[in-house]
Amino acid sequence: METIRNYLETMFASLPNTFEMQKAKNELLQMMEDKYTELITDGKTENEAVGIVISEFGNLDELAEELGISSFVIQENQKTAGGFRSVTLAEVKDYLHDRTRSAYAVALGVFLCIISVCGYLVHFGGGWHVRIVLATSFMFIAIAAAVGLFMFSNFVMGKWKFFRERACSVDFATAEYVHNRRESFRVTRSMMNTIGVILCILSVLPVIVVDSLFGWSSGFGVVLMFVFVGIGVFLLVVSGNVNAGFTVILSLNKRDTMGGSFVPSQKQVTYKNETISQIMSVYWPTVTCIYLCWSFLSFDWHITWIVWVIAALVQQMLKAL
Amino acid sequence: MSSISSDIIRGYNDTMILYLLWDEPSYGYEISKRIRNLSEEKYAIKETTLYSAFTRLEKNGFVESFADSDMVNGKRRTYYRITEQGRQYYREKCAEWTLTKEVVEKFIRQDGGM
Repeated sequence: METIRNYLETMFASLPNTFEMQKAKNELLQMMEDKYTELITDGKTENEAVGIVISEFGNLDELAEELGISSFVIQENQKTAGGFRSVTLAEVKDYLHDRTRSAYAVALGVFLCIISVCGYLVHFGGGWHVRIVLATSFMFIAIAAAVGLFMFSNFVMGKWKFFRERACSVDFATAEYVHNRRESFRVTRSMMNTIGVILCILSVLPVIVVDSLFGWSSGFGVVLMFVFVGIGVFLLVVSGNVNAGFTVILSLNKRDTMGGSFVPSQKQVTYKNETISQIMSVYWPTVTCIYLCWSFLSFDWHITWIVWVIAALVQQMLKAL
Repeated sequence: MSSISSDIIRGYNDTMILYLLWDEPSYGYEISKRIRNLSEEKYAIKETTLYSAFTRLEKNGFVESFADSDMVNGKRRTYYRITEQGRQYYREKCAEWTLTKEVVEKFIRQDGGM
């Protein structure tokens, strides 16, 4: 029965998502289901039954004529011939694998960038000059490694650029597969996000604890703070990137076609205003930038976190616009 | 054995459906099954053909659809019921067919061209 359902969903995938189409699909499914059940009762094997039902299904062109969408079907067929790229399940699995690798690479890179300044903060023995040299070397090595990781991620994701450049589509079975993977990732994702945020918030603790034990001068508290923030951000970047992979696949099908409704409630933050949605694509990186710049320039770490609260509020307001 | 030309029979799918709905309402699969049985397996209507016919008949007001549960296993289905207009249309189609048959018959050799 699953095969029949997949077949029908795929047949309808490129048709407009309208009430009439939904009704037609449900009616046809019901007829096929009845026929299938009867064939099975008559002692046919599952494969035979599926074969008979699909071979006697007919042609959607006929339906298109009746529902007044024949022009749409023809257009759609031409489009398919002229470069509609259908993405297979194997490709999708490949993509998700690459996306995860790149997520870890980017997250590790970000982590290295965050802790790259730590060398300057530790007050170990040795002359002022030696300290600067060591700290600077550490920073450059960390940043070079981070850049390497970013380049690696770019390289890995390079072959998937066509998702954005061309009209692509996935069939029902693939969409369902991705949907299930996203569902099973949900728990991991919320764990990562929670721990990530908690680490960022708790990052001030080491400063207070360590410094009250060993005195401000050691600088290890501040270093630990950077490590906490680094790990927190690492977790947030990984979970966000992996999840974005699922979303990319699930939004390949055009929203106004039946294919767009394969997966229920594709929750995505949508901005009504086109300009705002463009602003939002660079919103969080900008906020991060402001946060880091302000913090490093003023060293008022005890208050700069307020940026995140304000940023979240502003985002809610922009959503409402 | 020759098979039925779908071009010819297409014009009479509506007639067959209305015939089957004459006495009582019915639903998609039952109608397709009865068409197959009555035609002694010589004609099997495709699902898409059947559904297009339903849409067309309903748009023209010849049938009405309603949702109801199956008597046997309680499954929700869309049932179709013939209307008075549908009966009128059926009579017209019957007359048309009698005429068509009469005319075409004149050109069919009794020995079948053998």
